Amino acid sequence: MFTIEIKSIEKVHSGGKIAVNKISAEMNERVTTLIGRNGAGKTTLLRMLSTQLLPTSGTAVVEGYDIIKETKKVREMISSIPQEASPIGILTPYEQVKMYLVGRKFDRKDASSQAIEALETVGLGDAMNSPADTLSGGMKRKMFVALSIASEANMVFLDEPTTGLDPLSRFEVWSAIKKLKSNVLLTTHYMEEAENLSNEVYLMDSGKIIDHGTVKSLLRKFKDRIRIESQKQIADSYRVAGMYIKYAPIDETERYIREGATVKRITLDDLFIMRGVDLES
Amino acid sequence: MILNPKFILQFSYYYGIKVITRGPSYIIASLVTPLTLLFVVYILTAGKLVEFAIVGGMISLIASIGLQSAGDASFFRLQLRIQELYVASDVTPIDYMLAMTLSFLAFSIPGIIVYSLLGAYYGLYSLQTSAFMAFLIVMLIISTSAIAFIISGLIKHIRNIWGITSILSIIMTIIPPTFYPYVDLQGRLGTDGLIYLLSLSPATPAAISAQMVFGLMPWNNSMFGAMMAFLIGETIIYFAIAKFLTRWREV
Repeated sequence: MFTIEIKSIEKVHSGGKIAVNKISAEMNERVTTLIGRNGAGKTTLLRMLSTQLLPTSGTAVVEGYDIIKETKKVREMISSIPQEASPIGILTPYEQVKMYLVGRKFDRKDASSQAIEALETVGLGDAMNSPADTLSGGMKRKMFVALSIASEANMVFLDEPTTGLDPLSRFEVWSAIKKLKSNVLLTTHYMEEAENLSNEVYLMDSGKIIDHGTVKSLLRKFKDRIRIESQKQIADSYRVAGMYIKYAPIDETERYIREGATVKRITLDDLFIMRGVDLES
Repeated sequence: MILNPKFILQFSYYYGIKVITRGPSYIIASLVTPLTLLFVVYILTAGKLVEFAIVGGMISLIASIGLQSAGDASFFRLQLRIQELYVASDVTPIDYMLAMTLSFLAFSIPGIIVYSLLGAYYGLYSLQTSAFMAFLIVMLIISTSAIAFIISGLIKHIRNIWGITSILSIIMTIIPPTFYPYVDLQGRLGTDGLIYLLSLSPATPAAISAQMVFGLMPWNNSMFGAMMAFLIGETIIYFAIAKFLTRWREV
């Protein structure tokens, strides 16, 4: 049984725009990342899988249950943190985690102890009784991760959990995500985040999956190569966001530096760039 | 339909009771309009209609708080994304709506105390009238919160909600006969046409029936029956519509 089995799922918005274009996939890694630029269809796909949005056609099976025919069962198995979710400012993290757990049919006493334990696990032990309005952006996101940890859900969906955070806060949230024992599907447009957190990565663009695999296997095609960036035209290069980009053997590094180009190490960004996807747009 | 009463009570304890001490300005704001109108009615009628304004003020306060909850429901859905968090869990839309509704009822407690004390001072409360007012409060908070959920499910931009709730709050809680005798509406748009039109707001049947039960107006069997049918019927209808419009699973 796959953790998530997506069967030709499609979402066409009321205006006719195809957000997700008949995607099929079988995911079975503990942490899987959907990566792509804004508007690639990541959030729409995640919202369909987490039963928040009804697909136009197709379906998916999450933790063994169909998202359309067995919605209630799916909801018992999952926890989903929406993109840019924000806590209720006037309530404390402890109150919000406990309230969520009671909603998930935890006994009140268990909800209380689980909430405290999870908040301490993500490093919010000292702030758990302060109103959420007084917390930093990173602490607020960590509260949501604590909520998923405490829920003991089999599958956790995290939609862009670190968007808009400063580098240190992002690092703290990553550390909290790593403490999740559940299977995790997360979306991001930070390549670094995908590399750091996931066992398997799905690359999305224009509502489709354009490639997938482990970070290592996806980057294998760039083995012993570097990325050359230049404002001036280079032969056999891609033009992305007003820049000429080329992949060259690592032993040509010095030559390109002498020519005034910038040399960068290969990241997951390059999987999009080599397909002509403008990451800046 | 299996409810999760523990969640409903836990949510309303945190979001209804605990926030009273953390955000008292909201409670004062909700009390200002009915108390101001009570003062105006007292001055303009030289105290003659003050009992109407005390009974109606309670109804206006509860209905107004229920309608204002559209702001919170929208804020939770569009801005905080808290509703989505609960969609992908065991919580049902009915649990969520009842939890929010009960929170607002809890939040109304200071206002209920103020109006109860005023009513007691004017000798308006007996066992019978107290029980009837308690029934009206429950029906009003459910029906007006349901209207609030309908509105919050329909709006797409959070900015619109503040204007809409202010307008609705005035139309649905002050224009109905909450601060004046309902018979003043008779003879307009046919015999009782205007009364039935205004009965689209749950505050109207609540206020008219209360005026009879509290002895402020002569008893009228057919009018009382019609108003009870309106109040109970629209509470059920508004709640049923709200359940489908809360955008629990978006299409």
